[in-house]
Amino acid sequence: MKLHRVLSVLALAMLAFPSLAVGQGTGIIRGRVTDAATGAPVLGVQVRVEGTTIGAQTGQDGTYTITGVAPGARGVTTRRVGFAPGRATVTVPDAGSATQDFALSMVAATLNEVVVTALGQTTSQRSLGTAQQSVRGAEIAETQRENFVNALQGRVAGVEVTSSSGVPGASSSITIRGVSSISGSNQPLFIIDGLPMDNKTQHTSVLASSFGGSTYSFENRGVDFTNRAADLNPEDIESLVVLKGPEAAVLYGIDAANGAIVITTKRGKAGVGGLEYNNSFRFESVGKRPEVQQVYGPSAVGSSTFLYWGAPYAAGTEFFDNIDGFFNTAKTQKHNLTFSGAAVDNRINYRLATSLTQQGGVVPHDKYSRINLTGASQAQVNSWVNVDLSMGYTYADNHQSFKGLGGPLIGLLVWPQTDQANTYLTPGGTRRRLTTLNQGLEVDNPYFNVNKNFNASKNNRIIANLGLTFTPFSWGNLKTNIGTDTYTNQTEILRHPESTFGFSNNGIIDVANDMTRSSNVQTVFNVHSRALTNSISIGALVGNAINDYKSTVDASVGRDFLEPNFVSVNNTNARTSATRISQRRLVGLFGRVSLDYKKYLYLNIDGRNDWTSTIPVERNSFFYPGVSTSFVFSDAFPAIGNFMTGKIRAAYAEVGKDARPYSYRPALEFKTTSYGGYGYGFWGPNFALSPEFAVSRELGTELTFLDNRLGIDATIYRKQTRDQIVNDIRGSYATGFILFNLNGAVTRNQGVELTLRGTPLLRDNLSWDIVANYDRSKGTVLELPNALPEAYNSDTWLFGNVRNGTAPGLSTRSLTGWFYLRNQAGDLLISPTTGLPLRASTFIDRGYDRNPDYTVGLSNTLRYKRATLSALVDIRRGGDVFNATEHFLTARGLSMRTLDRNEPRVVEGVLQDGRENTANPTRNTIVVTPAVNTDYYLSISEELFIEKDINWLRLRDITLSYALPEGRFKRASLFITGTDLLLLTNYSGMDPIVNGNTAATGGSSAQGIDYGNFPIPRGFNFGLRMGF
Amino acid sequence: MIKRRVVLIAGFVTLFGGCSDFLDVNTNPNGPETVASNVYLPPMLHWLVAGSQWDGRYIGLYTQEWVSTVVNAAPATTFGRMGYDPGNDNSGQQWRDVYYTSGQNLVDMMRIAQAEERWDILGLGYIIKAWGWQQLADLHGEIIVAEAIDQTKFTFKYDTQEYAFAEVRKLLDSAVVYLSRTDGVVDAAYMARGDKIYNGDRLKWLKFAHGLRAINLGHYTNKASYDPAAVIASVDLSFVGNADDALLQFEFNSALNDARNMQGPTRANFGNYRQSAFVVDLMDGTVFGVPDPRISRMLAPSPDGGPYQGLSPNDAGIGALTPVAVARRPATPYNNATAGAGLYLFDDRARHPAMTYSQLQFIKAEAAFRMGNRTLALAAYRNAIDAHITFVNSRITDGGQAPPPITAAERAAFLAAPTVVPTEANLTLTHILSQKYIAQWAWGHNELWTDMRRVHYTDIDPATGAQYYPGFVPVTPLYAANGGKLVYRFRPRYNSEYIWNIPSLEEIGGTALDYQTKPTWIIEP
Repeated sequence: MKLHRVLSVLALAMLAFPSLAVGQGTGIIRGRVTDAATGAPVLGVQVRVEGTTIGAQTGQDGTYTITGVAPGARGVTTRRVGFAPGRATVTVPDAGSATQDFALSMVAATLNEVVVTALGQTTSQRSLGTAQQSVRGAEIAETQRENFVNALQGRVAGVEVTSSSGVPGASSSITIRGVSSISGSNQPLFIIDGLPMDNKTQHTSVLASSFGGSTYSFENRGVDFTNRAADLNPEDIESLVVLKGPEAAVLYGIDAANGAIVITTKRGKAGVGGLEYNNSFRFESVGKRPEVQQVYGPSAVGSSTFLYWGAPYAAGTEFFDNIDGFFNTAKTQKHNLTFSGAAVDNRINYRLATSLTQQGGVVPHDKYSRINLTGASQAQVNSWVNVDLSMGYTYADNHQSFKGLGGPLIGLLVWPQTDQANTYLTPGGTRRRLTTLNQGLEVDNPYFNVNKNFNASKNNRIIANLGLTFTPFSWGNLKTNIGTDTYTNQTEILRHPESTFGFSNNGIIDVANDMTRSSNVQTVFNVHSRALTNSISIGALVGNAINDYKSTVDASVGRDFLEPNFVSVNNTNARTSATRISQRRLVGLFGRVSLDYKKYLYLNIDGRNDWTSTIPVERNSFFYPGVSTSFVFSDAFPAIGNFMTGKIRAAYAEVGKDARPYSYRPALEFKTTSYGGYGYGFWGPNFALSPEFAVSRELGTELTFLDNRLGIDATIYRKQTRDQIVNDIRGSYATGFILFNLNGAVTRNQGVELTLRGTPLLRDNLSWDIVANYDRSKGTVLELPNALPEAYNSDTWLFGNVRNGTAPGLSTRSLTGWFYLRNQAGDLLISPTTGLPLRASTFIDRGYDRNPDYTVGLSNTLRYKRATLSALVDIRRGGDVFNATEHFLTARGLSMRTLDRNEPRVVEGVLQDGRENTANPTRNTIVVTPAVNTDYYLSISEELFIEKDINWLRLRDITLSYALPEGRFKRASLFITGTDLLLLTNYSGMDPIVNGNTAATGGSSAQGIDYGNFPIPRGFNFGLRMGF
Repeated sequence: MIKRRVVLIAGFVTLFGGCSDFLDVNTNPNGPETVASNVYLPPMLHWLVAGSQWDGRYIGLYTQEWVSTVVNAAPATTFGRMGYDPGNDNSGQQWRDVYYTSGQNLVDMMRIAQAEERWDILGLGYIIKAWGWQQLADLHGEIIVAEAIDQTKFTFKYDTQEYAFAEVRKLLDSAVVYLSRTDGVVDAAYMARGDKIYNGDRLKWLKFAHGLRAINLGHYTNKASYDPAAVIASVDLSFVGNADDALLQFEFNSALNDARNMQGPTRANFGNYRQSAFVVDLMDGTVFGVPDPRISRMLAPSPDGGPYQGLSPNDAGIGALTPVAVARRPATPYNNATAGAGLYLFDDRARHPAMTYSQLQFIKAEAAFRMGNRTLALAAYRNAIDAHITFVNSRITDGGQAPPPITAAERAAFLAAPTVVPTEANLTLTHILSQKYIAQWAWGHNELWTDMRRVHYTDIDPATGAQYYPGFVPVTPLYAANGGKLVYRFRPRYNSEYIWNIPSLEEIGGTALDYQTKPTWIIEP
């Protein structure tokens, strides 16, 4: 069935029922809702008349008015996220009015809090049988991160955010509960106002320079692109809920196998409206600078690739401060303007917002700028139809320097310090060179690199979402969302003809236009909970979702520039173009039945069936169940409830997952040999491809003590993925192919999440809140397809011979490499001829694991009168980081550790002389002096640069804000925010948060592989907020 | 009310009907699944020839066609010492081309050609298959033949070289049968769409099939079953002149890297290679007494205009050369051209041979010599040299370089020199193998290396009391893992076999550190 047919049937279904008159009357209920603790008015509370569809929202002053109430005794309920629900019975006179005020208690973290769950449903915390955690939009916006994903680290137990680097527009990957997929994405599904939002990071395989296995492709190493979730303006987020496991996210299906991040955007509210403006200005600088030795000069001056094994520098040699001089103080400004409001009875509300962000980088020419325009309006058309339309437009413009091998950092480090690097051009305007080497062999001067090479992308995106809620019956409603998420991303990457990377092709320019469209329709029919007996109630929902995703990338690459400085494909002699289309369609049907017994024992039973286009048709339909239960024991046993509240929950879910498009059927591709011709691509057939399944179970408890001033939320979970699809796995070429996509891996993830909330101080003018999120997770590979010995992603093999290889029994984040050979006793094997240790010539495991032992996010909020101080500290313990940059510097004689080059030493180990595994191996006694035998450092194993058990304590953000007294401006406040001001770590490199690839790389990617990567800078923000 | 509810639910349920069309979007829109049989040909033919160029960079170090000047790094320290690059796919190009580039594509092409009764394309398919096994078996010895091209397996058993050689001849039998047919839809113009070697001329491919059989049979010289008469018979059914030479043309579409000769200056793959002293000695008169007129068309001149010079892998870098020799250190094989016009086969457009008339005449000469027919041997030997001179004259103009061709007078004088073309009585295998070396230099690596291995590089020609390859000195020291032994085979491609097919490799001893020194079956008596 074509999508438009689906839509038309849907439209028909919606038009099929005419306006329903739900017993309307003439009575009016009005009142005011206040905070029970402070007496302050509470806005945005949904007040409903039970058994009807009529209701209203409170405005700024906390008042509400419900008209058209049938006379008699009516039950009135209130719901507001963050507050306990309220209920009262009002007697409404005919054609008269009744008044009912409510005093609601703020119940953050308590069982009665109303929370958003899967599919945008709201429920009380007590009924949840699964783990989820929410973050307020204001808290995210307050961090002043351009990419809101970066604000989540430490704020949610189990969430790990890794930014690829510290440059503006760098991609950030987010994983919940660790790495379970060996080759596929481990990132969660993003849901915005009920529909999926694309969070793709552009993969370099869509570039024409990757076409036909060219020799000048980037392989997700040399360039990075923004993850598209960053298009969302943090100021537009009302709340964000993280559904951590398949148990919570099962209703979202396939794409939520790694959890889901459910975002609700802001809407206008009665009374609060008007014009609001806020801004932020930031200065950023590099925290830690790299260090290189200034004792020994270059060897083979002029003809080497900057090796520093030469004679000591003469006394009085002038050194230039190239490294410090290179970095800028980055300046960023942000302006947000919002205009919002609502009718007094809140039947119609609107919010229009615009935002401008201009971010500079510490590396010259790096920048990220973004314009957001959003509009959202909601209307209660009549008593049973509610319409909600939101549209957001984003323009993002990013300009990045290269990273890794061809990036400016490597050039900066190896550039002779005796040369003034910032003169990067000759008087004739061409690249100034220092060696007689071919231009492709001499490392780019960093200034030349950032001035002449670039990676630029511009993204235009529209997300539109129409939500229709019909409430034809008092006992249920039908909610349909129709939306599209469409963007065009234009990428332009220049490798200048004179640059190291561009020289052998006389310049390379890549352009790629990605038109991505994701159309979504989701319909949920909700049956409200109703009493079956005095003690048992039942509720249900059934729904479906249709997703149609298509990306078409038109890419071309031009080489051989005519005019070296004119940037256009038109300026090239040799051009190749390619179109890459990727399409996937998904249909899901799902349902849930919820039972509760006396409001303290809850049982939810979920089921979903998905039909996907990417699995062979015989197996493309698959069903999976979920069940969760919650037991509020403090209500069941009031004796306990007197001094604490508590519940335990348990959940079990399975979730299926499909393959990427076109995985199982091989296709031919154009071959770049003479006279064209077709041949198969790398991937062989696998007609037996079937969906993979994750089976997950979790057990948790939520406890509060001392009148909610202390709360604990603890979860343990175990997820096992079977029949996991491993992409791009090699076989013998005798198959006729090079790579396969195979089922057959088994991985297991288990862990503990703990959230502690406390309010040590709570006085009239002073309060102190603490939230600590603790997470310990571990992913292990149990099996690989066809008993293959190793699975790895070749993009991660980016420096020397270390890569993210894993094998049965190893962590999903292990590293394999050409590590040192050892005898059975574990001693290094030493070559009897050179006296140097011997290295494996195949990839072996030596127990290196990038998985942290645990992480802690500790946030403190201190309020005193009008001032608020909040800070988030991110702590990690354990996990290995490969400092490839340091290896690079060591092999080149630049690292400080090579200063001992003249000290003779004997490498401890045993000679490989045939006796190495006997009881009396020959101890090595061969003396080597690195200055003479430069192989000592040149061929040193990468193993010595994998830094074990890296810990850090990072002050992620700290904000001091001060609310000005009400005066000319409403709600005016000033703030200062510091980002990443402090980093304490045992890591010797610049920043242990690093990804040698980008967020586009699947599996464990190259997280923790640090090569030529810029660190996250220290930032200092200030600004103000005000309303008119 | 009830009716409305029914309509609502009905509308809702209707959504789930008939989704199968909606989901049918998994046909890859980026490329077809099958194409016309002639469209499969260009990459397969290209790589069957070009693959030997890639691997030839390393074979050329074994056979001292050239040496690497980067003395402290691979390939000088690995292949340059008759070793290999551990954990690396270098020297595995033809392995990739036979199993992957041809692989399933060849199976599909032959199936389609058979169904459409395109016997010419089907016959060429058999040649491509035979050619691939011949190349791989020559290089690697044991290879996967019987179980190859099967996506249901993930480990594969190796077959013996003997089996592979026999399989080649069987496939050539089929090739001959199909290429001889004229029924069905045999169509030269159709085949020419993908066949730029012979432009769809099935009769030339027929000759090629016989030539390939001659190469196959010619390798049996160390075996009791060597049948020189059969070799000669096959040569006689094959090429009759230079016009039959199988040459890969380069389209020189500047957007396509592989449409340019990888040995040419634009692709600059030979910047660190220099011609060897050994080949210079063969051509400058050191071995044959008279200077070879081909030398100035094939080799890079001395920068100072002095005598031609080559480097030896046993020179300890340039430092070991005399000051004069340093001044005469040859330029790159394309003579430092940066684009376009390079020397001989080192030009961007120079057609690269797969098999030549000259080469087959040398094979015939050796066979005739070994069967004692010196008259036939001498005639074929003279023919072979003469044809190679013609070949050189063609290659040096392929790219429009237009240097002065070898004149008729130069040719006549060279062929008249008794040290080059002796009397029947004075003809030796040394003459034949040494001149064959020149004629195969820089392209015929697989055959050249087989020739040298057949005489164990340094065997003594009983007729002369000196080496068959006069002056050939293997590199010292050899690659450490060789244990003092010369190289006799390439190891199978690393990423194909040493990662995923280890149990089968172990059965043939392929995991031994000195596996590359194990003589292949055909070399042994």
